Amino acid sequence: MLRLLRLLGQEALTRLGTLGRSAYVLFWTLYSLPRRGDLELLGKQLYQVGVLSLAIIVLSAFSIGAVLALQGYTQLAKIGAEQSVGLGVALVLLRELGPVVTGLLFAGRAGSAMTAEIGLMKTTDQLAGMEMMGVDPLHRVVAPRLWAGIVCLPVLTLIFNAVAIWAAGLVGVDWLGIDPGGFWSGMTDGVEMWEDVGKGMVKSGVFAFLISWIAVFEGYDALPTAEGIGNATTRTVVYSSVVVLAVDFVLTLVMYGEFK
Amino acid sequence: MRAIHSSAPQDRRETEEPRRRAACKWYSLPRFDADPAHTLTDNLIEIEGLSFARGDRVIFNGLDLTVPRGSVTALMGPSGTGKTTLLRIIGGQIRPDEGSVRVDGREVTRMSRGELLDFRRGLGMLFQSSALFTDFSVFDNVAFPLRVHTDLPEDMIRDLVLLKLNSVGLRGARDLMPAQLSGGMSRRVALARAIALDPKFIMYDEPFTGQDPISLGVLATLISGLNRALKTTSLVVSHDIHETTQIADLIYIISDGRVIGRGSPTELKHERSQMVQQFMTGAPDGPVPFHYPADDFLEDVLGAH
Repeated sequence: MLRLLRLLGQEALTRLGTLGRSAYVLFWTLYSLPRRGDLELLGKQLYQVGVLSLAIIVLSAFSIGAVLALQGYTQLAKIGAEQSVGLGVALVLLRELGPVVTGLLFAGRAGSAMTAEIGLMKTTDQLAGMEMMGVDPLHRVVAPRLWAGIVCLPVLTLIFNAVAIWAAGLVGVDWLGIDPGGFWSGMTDGVEMWEDVGKGMVKSGVFAFLISWIAVFEGYDALPTAEGIGNATTRTVVYSSVVVLAVDFVLTLVMYGEFK
Repeated sequence: MRAIHSSAPQDRRETEEPRRRAACKWYSLPRFDADPAHTLTDNLIEIEGLSFARGDRVIFNGLDLTVPRGSVTALMGPSGTGKTTLLRIIGGQIRPDEGSVRVDGREVTRMSRGELLDFRRGLGMLFQSSALFTDFSVFDNVAFPLRVHTDLPEDMIRDLVLLKLNSVGLRGARDLMPAQLSGGMSRRVALARAIALDPKFIMYDEPFTGQDPISLGVLATLISGLNRALKTTSLVVSHDIHETTQIADLIYIISDGRVIGRGSPTELKHERSQMVQQFMTGAPDGPVPFHYPADDFLEDVLGAH
């Protein structure tokens, strides 16, 4: 019993230590003031993190939008409400699937890459080398990646939503023959800018911050071995996915409230 | 081929002025001897009562060490005695549990994060792994500290980088990527990068490890030659007795967290301490035993039957 308690205590202390280190990394990363040449570094990361993630986001969005339209049509046609497919798809995408699925894909594509890149720089002493040259790696390496992640994910979410809705229209209107007036006007009448689009983007912003923080910290804190980087990359994807799903529930509860 | 930034000067004074201003700014970077408030002694580094432990394992236990200004000082000792850790403590990357580490009169252990970053601009470090930036070419690796810490125009940076690369014999390799370099070349590029800002103090972590005889000789000559040419102080961590005794003015042998031998290469060769002798002659058995502590051999082998 005592041994179990000791193990639990040790585990709690380890977790607390990790949390403390991650807060330290976040503080000094955000604290470092922009300097000459920072825009160039940020631009490079915006390309790496954002532009290179576009393909997977667009392909997934197309697939999800098309499937939602198919499933919606199958069910709603039974009660003669196929005109509502457009509104249903838009609400599901803007409020939930857009931010959540884009967040999960982003964690797998860009988050893991950020962790691996920073971890490998640590393993090959590049971060230590920078420090010994009087250059802060948190400013030079970590900050551009963190900011690029925070900027890119909401933009990718917007693109995801747009492509998915377009794909739903393609399947629903052009293929299954839903009346285009009902499909599109139902959507534009039913969707509210703040309640649906705005709150969805708030979720995306929160996910962007959390995923980017997890990704850069796991890389910076990785054990400098091949196994250490592998574990850190896995942790980034697992922690980010769990955090996105858990925080999504909390945000939905807080923002859309009054469920009783 | 890298583009050379040059324009025909219309008026020499107009073109020279920005260069001179930039150069002045560069030379006004924090240097060890720039602040008259600091206590200057004949020793560049003074370490007193240094204690450091990792978990239950004691690495240093009241270590005292001084590095004379302008010298090539070597740190030697069996593997795992914390020589690299000592370099990291001197560079402020690790804080010791106790003791004082003064570099040019400045207490490193009490520096803030910002002060440490400023302090490190005045020192160079050559890592065992070279630590070159893998996404940068040789030229950009050497130019990195100049671009980050100075406002020098690109054509002046080019001149300086080529001078540094020339001093290590790799001016012709400027466009290569680190993956295209041999181990010896990587270390020479890292050395060119370490001296890019003309540091007053350079630390070398195992510079000779894994080098072929030619690279070994080249690196030893470079360390010794640069120390004289740049009037720097060098601290070399090495296992290589032959090369190190050729270039070092002073050698420390560290074992069990303390200094067990100190002196010039000649003095250490005649040192009476058995441990120092074992290390200097590379004897397989002695005070540092060949066998890891274990039960009696016969009992261990025959006891099972």
